[in-house]
Amino acid sequence: MNLYDLIVKKIKDIQGEGDDAAITNMSTSSMLTAEITLISSILVALVMLRMVNNVLMFVAVLVVLMAALIAMPLMPHFKKEQNDSLASMMFYVILALAIVITLFYWGNLNV
Amino acid sequence: MNLLIPLMVIVPILCALFLNLLHKKDRTIKTIAIILALLLPALPLLANYGLHYFGGYAPLIENPTLSNNLPSLITGTALNTFHPAITYSFQSAQKIFVFILGLVGLLAIFTSLYETRRPSGVYGYMMFMGIAAVTAILLTDDIFNLYVFFEIAALATVGIVLVSNVKGNYETALKYMILGGIAAPLFLLGIALILGVTGNVNISDIIYSLQNGLVDPKNPVLLMACGLIVFGWLYGSGLPPFHTIKSAIYSKALPSGAALIQTFSVFIFIALGIIILRIFSYLPFSQWVILGASLLAMILGITMAIVQTDIKRMIGFLAVGELGYIGIGLGLGTAFGITAGLFQAVNEVIITAFLFIGFGTVLYQTRVSDTRKLGGMLQRNPLVAFLVLIAGFAMAGVPPLNAFQSKLMLIQASITAGFPELGVIMILLSIVTFMTFMKAFHAVFLRPKPVDLELKNEDIPKATIITLLVFLVVCIIIGLFPQVVTSYLQPLATSLAGGIV
Repeated sequence: MNLYDLIVKKIKDIQGEGDDAAITNMSTSSMLTAEITLISSILVALVMLRMVNNVLMFVAVLVVLMAALIAMPLMPHFKKEQNDSLASMMFYVILALAIVITLFYWGNLNV
Repeated sequence: MNLLIPLMVIVPILCALFLNLLHKKDRTIKTIAIILALLLPALPLLANYGLHYFGGYAPLIENPTLSNNLPSLITGTALNTFHPAITYSFQSAQKIFVFILGLVGLLAIFTSLYETRRPSGVYGYMMFMGIAAVTAILLTDDIFNLYVFFEIAALATVGIVLVSNVKGNYETALKYMILGGIAAPLFLLGIALILGVTGNVNISDIIYSLQNGLVDPKNPVLLMACGLIVFGWLYGSGLPPFHTIKSAIYSKALPSGAALIQTFSVFIFIALGIIILRIFSYLPFSQWVILGASLLAMILGITMAIVQTDIKRMIGFLAVGELGYIGIGLGLGTAFGITAGLFQAVNEVIITAFLFIGFGTVLYQTRVSDTRKLGGMLQRNPLVAFLVLIAGFAMAGVPPLNAFQSKLMLIQASITAGFPELGVIMILLSIVTFMTFMKAFHAVFLRPKPVDLELKNEDIPKATIITLLVFLVVCIIIGLFPQVVTSYLQPLATSLAGGIV
């Protein structure tokens, strides 16, 4: 099954049985574009790890590339996570708070 | 003392209160609202640069008559330089920011007066109050005063959404308030911790205390405060994880309201970003966190925009993505990068308002925002289609429009600062932004009109067309003469960068 078919299948899964909106060429190609943009942007951003260590950058790019290839398509999952559900928004808000505080409190004292 | 500085905040508050007293006198309200709204961009142009001390309480160092009678216990210490009153600072960067806020405010109010049934009432009140709050956020040098207006801006945002007659607006406004109920108190806690450690809420005095050894900069409480203020910054500006709710808020407001709310978000983003850079730039993580959050906003915002089917939600996510460009400029930490970031902020405010009001004409005529149900609007409104096309070109950074100049500066700044990867990502995402816009443009204007699409309003108000034309002129002028804006931003950028060009 190629990536296009996989994306169509994922969109159908997310929409569920009740939603009768057609899966158009436009929605699938949009999802495909978003998928490619997401992966390529993350990979290019990871190259910035060269500031810390070249080996770390190389390993991180390879690991993320492999993970992305295995878990493809990512964008339907991303879209599902970034929905308007208050519960999921709350979860990510608390997660972000934990990350920010850890970075500032622990990171600045120990790095 | 320059009395025009506080008037920039007082005038919109008075407008908000006064216009409701004339309830039901629609013509009078329209005339007075337009005249008073004209003052919003005019006041920053007329005011001179300087500081305004509320109550007239200047620092002792500036008041020799008073300080000569005081013991050296006070005048010989840092107390001599501290600011005892709330201080507003009006410099060249504030001049351009308040002017642009006033201009977008004027045009949004002008549009709303002719698109809504009643020109008075809560909607107009909330718009004026929001403008007053964000102006105060841009001017104040007092972090607690900033928090008060930060909350007023959040309430005005919720109010604008609540009174917009859009399906699902109550639920989205409630969610925004619930999330604000978590983030805003934590932001206040951060301010309280700073007050606890430094004994001050004046930003200049806090920086003085840190730079002159009055406070230990590595105090763990201060680090915690920085983390909490950064969290408040994420909430106020709609960076991840608040990007979903912020884009939802934009999509549940009327186009004029959405244009204004995104302006609030951008100016809160830069006001808090500047404060974080001013106070905490000595912390190695502050710049990295700004860069990381901005990069995430760009990637998530733009990739989510392309998969949307609702035009307003699409522009909402694009607006979040464009915030990332501003943050990249600030996070680079060089004078050129910060100038480029601030310049991008000015451009984004104008272009996103242009797009919201431009696509809003379609919503006004059809009451439909789902791209799958729209089409054929080019034949109906060729002029509006042309104006919206230019707005989309501007957002994607097509020359000679304004965002081309700022995005080019940002890419140059990232390469000069040693981050060419950021330049590559910005180019890639600009291309995707262009594609996202063209997808929406094709669906709304170029595709044949669906048979079941009905027009609820035949004619677009002339006020809306005038507003779009003004935005077009501003985009072209700034695009051709970027120094008109950048010359105002450079002094602030140079001081924030601390000598790094």
